[in-house]
Amino acid sequence: MSVVDAVRRANQPGVPEDSVRLRFACLGAVVVAIAACASLEEITWTTAVGAMVLVAAGTAFSHATRARPPWWIKVVVAVGAIAACVWFFHEVSSPTAGITSVVNPLTALLVAVLAVHSFHVPSRRDLLFTLGASAGLMAVGGALAIDLRYGLYVVAWACCSLWGLTEMWTSASGGGRIRASGLVLALGATSMMAAAVFLVLPAPVVSSRVDFIARAGNGGSIGEPGRLAGDSGIAAQLSRPGSPASRIRVGGYLGFAGSLNTALRGNLGNALVMQVRSQQPSFWVGETFDTWQGQSWTESQPIPTRPLRQSSPFLLPIPEGDVPFGQSDLQTFYIASPTANLVFHAESASELWFPSGKLYVARNGTIVSPLGLGSGSIYTVDSQVSTATPAQLRTAAGPIPLPAGLAHQEDQLPHPYPRVLALARSVTAHDTTTYDKVQSLIHWIGTHTRYSENIPPLPAGADTVDEFLFGNRVGFCEQISTSLAVMLRSLGIPAREAVGYVPGSYDPITDLYEVHADDAHAWVQVWFPGYGWQNFDPTAAVPLSNPSPGATALHDVGSALGRVPPVPVVVVLVFAGLGALVVRWRRARPATWGERVARLAERAGRRAGRPRRPSETLGEYAARLDERTGPRSSTWTRLASSVEASAYGGHDPPRSAQRAMVEEARRTRVRPRPLDGGVAGAGEAPVPVGSVARD
Amino acid sequence: MVAGVVIIGLWWLVAHNAGSGWVQVLGDLVFGALLIGLVGPFVVVSRARIDIRSAPGDGTAGSPVSVGVVSRGRLRIRPVEPPGPEVFVGPRRRGSPDDAVVTLVPERRGVHRAVILDIASAAPFALQWWTRQVRLALPSDLHVSPRCGRAQPVPVRPDEGTGDILDRPRADEGLPRGARPYVPGDPRRLVHWRATAHAGVLMVREVERPAAEPVTVTVELPADPEAAERVAEGALGSVVGLLQGGGSVLLGTREPSGTVLEPVADRRSAGRRLARAVAGP
Repeated sequence: MSVVDAVRRANQPGVPEDSVRLRFACLGAVVVAIAACASLEEITWTTAVGAMVLVAAGTAFSHATRARPPWWIKVVVAVGAIAACVWFFHEVSSPTAGITSVVNPLTALLVAVLAVHSFHVPSRRDLLFTLGASAGLMAVGGALAIDLRYGLYVVAWACCSLWGLTEMWTSASGGGRIRASGLVLALGATSMMAAAVFLVLPAPVVSSRVDFIARAGNGGSIGEPGRLAGDSGIAAQLSRPGSPASRIRVGGYLGFAGSLNTALRGNLGNALVMQVRSQQPSFWVGETFDTWQGQSWTESQPIPTRPLRQSSPFLLPIPEGDVPFGQSDLQTFYIASPTANLVFHAESASELWFPSGKLYVARNGTIVSPLGLGSGSIYTVDSQVSTATPAQLRTAAGPIPLPAGLAHQEDQLPHPYPRVLALARSVTAHDTTTYDKVQSLIHWIGTHTRYSENIPPLPAGADTVDEFLFGNRVGFCEQISTSLAVMLRSLGIPAREAVGYVPGSYDPITDLYEVHADDAHAWVQVWFPGYGWQNFDPTAAVPLSNPSPGATALHDVGSALGRVPPVPVVVVLVFAGLGALVVRWRRARPATWGERVARLAERAGRRAGRPRRPSETLGEYAARLDERTGPRSSTWTRLASSVEASAYGGHDPPRSAQRAMVEEARRTRVRPRPLDGGVAGAGEAPVPVGSVARD
Repeated sequence: MVAGVVIIGLWWLVAHNAGSGWVQVLGDLVFGALLIGLVGPFVVVSRARIDIRSAPGDGTAGSPVSVGVVSRGRLRIRPVEPPGPEVFVGPRRRGSPDDAVVTLVPERRGVHRAVILDIASAAPFALQWWTRQVRLALPSDLHVSPRCGRAQPVPVRPDEGTGDILDRPRADEGLPRGARPYVPGDPRRLVHWRATAHAGVLMVREVERPAAEPVTVTVELPADPEAAERVAEGALGSVVGLLQGGGSVLLGTREPSGTVLEPVADRRSAGRRLARAVAGP
């Protein structure tokens, strides 16, 4: 078949579709898809409702004119579709178009096409196109969905679509309806297949560079330029370094306020702070500190009051002392609760899509927003993430040394730590490279200290490191990481404290890391010549890549099983097993006295080496047993006769007689088959050896 | 199917590279539906069981023959040999009757011991039709007679010199009614000598319903099936014409094993004979 023939065949009008149910199902799928997009603000609800009305009217019109569509409707549909496409290309060709200004016109385009197309849907094939287009619309909506609520729309759309598909079969088969069992099987198989594919496929990644979303949210502006704000849970409220107003605050981490007080860790709660879509997990760093004061960390270089003025995306300066080494990693941050106005990012940020015309960027790489970051704020960062291997770090001796002033600061200690130095030296006595020393210290901390947040605050004036390392060695991440940093500094290794968040829990459906308030964390950055600042953490591990959906599911299942208490499970299993045994015994138990007699006869015969043959009636078997029961015995024959008379003749003996017969069957023994002097088949009379026939 | 695979591949590429889990979830759902829509009919058709419940023993080429079939699942059936129109069989819904009628329209005469059917299904989503050919034995042979062609004149066997017209209905069969004067052409064996002696003129016996002298129609089918069909149609037309005229017919066919000669009493038996006939040597 030539291409022209194929095109001609594809354009032939189909058979008019009469099924009203099929049209309803398709209409439902389209309406759900439009509503899903409206819920994500890709189109306004006014537009959505208008489109729904149009689609409904179009569906009714198509059904009414299915047998003979008016000639002009094709022209109207074509003109409408072309106009929508022209409008779409005009919208996306705007130089300021970001991803939202692509997605939103694309949504509007699909909605417009669906609305126009609904007026010319005469055949089943056209309805299938409608279902496919609704799937596309759902996908466009899903591209911007960042929480599980979108699942409600997905479920509703899937129900409508699968209903439509089954109605399609009903229509195609001349009215045949799938049975309930078949429907359950088909839907179950579809779901299983989808789940299997979902678990097997790797997690999605952002591999294309486009203009990313940047939205201000409802944080408001901050009065004083360059000041930190929002750590108390109110986006625009200026922070108060190291003195939490309340111990239970969303995002109220003590380190997001210009200094880090290591004497106590507030009860941060478990509220969702932000969601992060990233190509790989990482520490989301907010701020670094280089000056240790015995109980608090501060930054020697204040955040400048002169902003960096650019339009989004911002090209960020390389932080002082850092070396851009590694690979690019894109992260989009969706702020869920008001948090500090720090722009979190992975390692060394190089480019930033941010909803503002200015930013405050410190020399150490800390980025401060002029806007309060309230819920709804969105920004995207492109970072350079280190790919240095341990072998590279062991031989690190690059041409770019740490600037002299900065080196002094990164080695700074408020007072000598002789015990700490001695401890660090003893731990790293056998190590020759900086990397090995860091690893040895991390290992020592991991084996000799214990993580706990339930410790009392340190007294005023107490040195955190001395208290932690030479006290009970129980502390939280700020104390542990500070101890590591001080041990490294005492050995002359440049180190500083970094605060931010651990990656959080990964949701494979939304492809987002969910960062909660208690994911706030502190860790250590060590400077390596040629590689810049490298993250080291003695308390938390960051995986190397986004876990696959399958791995996430396995981990979740494992965690859930791990939380199940074993004793109740064992008790339930034992009772279930006993119940199964009881049910099985009750099913296997003879139902009538006759069956019991027959069962007893078979048992007696089996014990005597004379099992019942499959073709043998009870009477025949009883006669054979009587031969071995005793001379001229007819016990089994008599019992079998009574049983057969009851079973086939309806002559039931009295209960007492029934019990007597069962008892008699239980007592009657069959002589066992002789063990020697004869060869006999199963159930056969012994045959003397000498009488075995020879060929 | 190819389109489905292409769509899913593109979808996954977009979903994977767009960094959105929901797009991937939706793609997985579409993939699941497509896969079940593509594979489901194969399973249904592979497991389908269809039985013939009733079938007639006779039919005519070009005329529909109804065969009763029963199927547990909903299937589309297209008779292949003998051919016939497409029909859906199987219960429409749970509890509804599962029997249906498949119409066969044989193109030519012949004897069918089985029918070949294309059974197809697109369950559960009507995205793809899968077809399988099945051969079902008929409960009894289906004799497809040729179409009834135009009656052809039966040539009269030449006179053997006795003056008898052999094709004239014989008068020695039936109930005796009396005697009548001889008319030329009456067989000699019907001459009633006693009455002739009595009347002085040649008299012949007369019977109440003179039975027809069986007419022997011998057919030699050519090797070409189409030509043989035409010949068979003509033969049937002639036989039917003769039978309608009240005569009895012996239908013979020249076959490789020799001439097969059988009396045919009606159109049905003539049709069956011609259905079984094969081309001559």
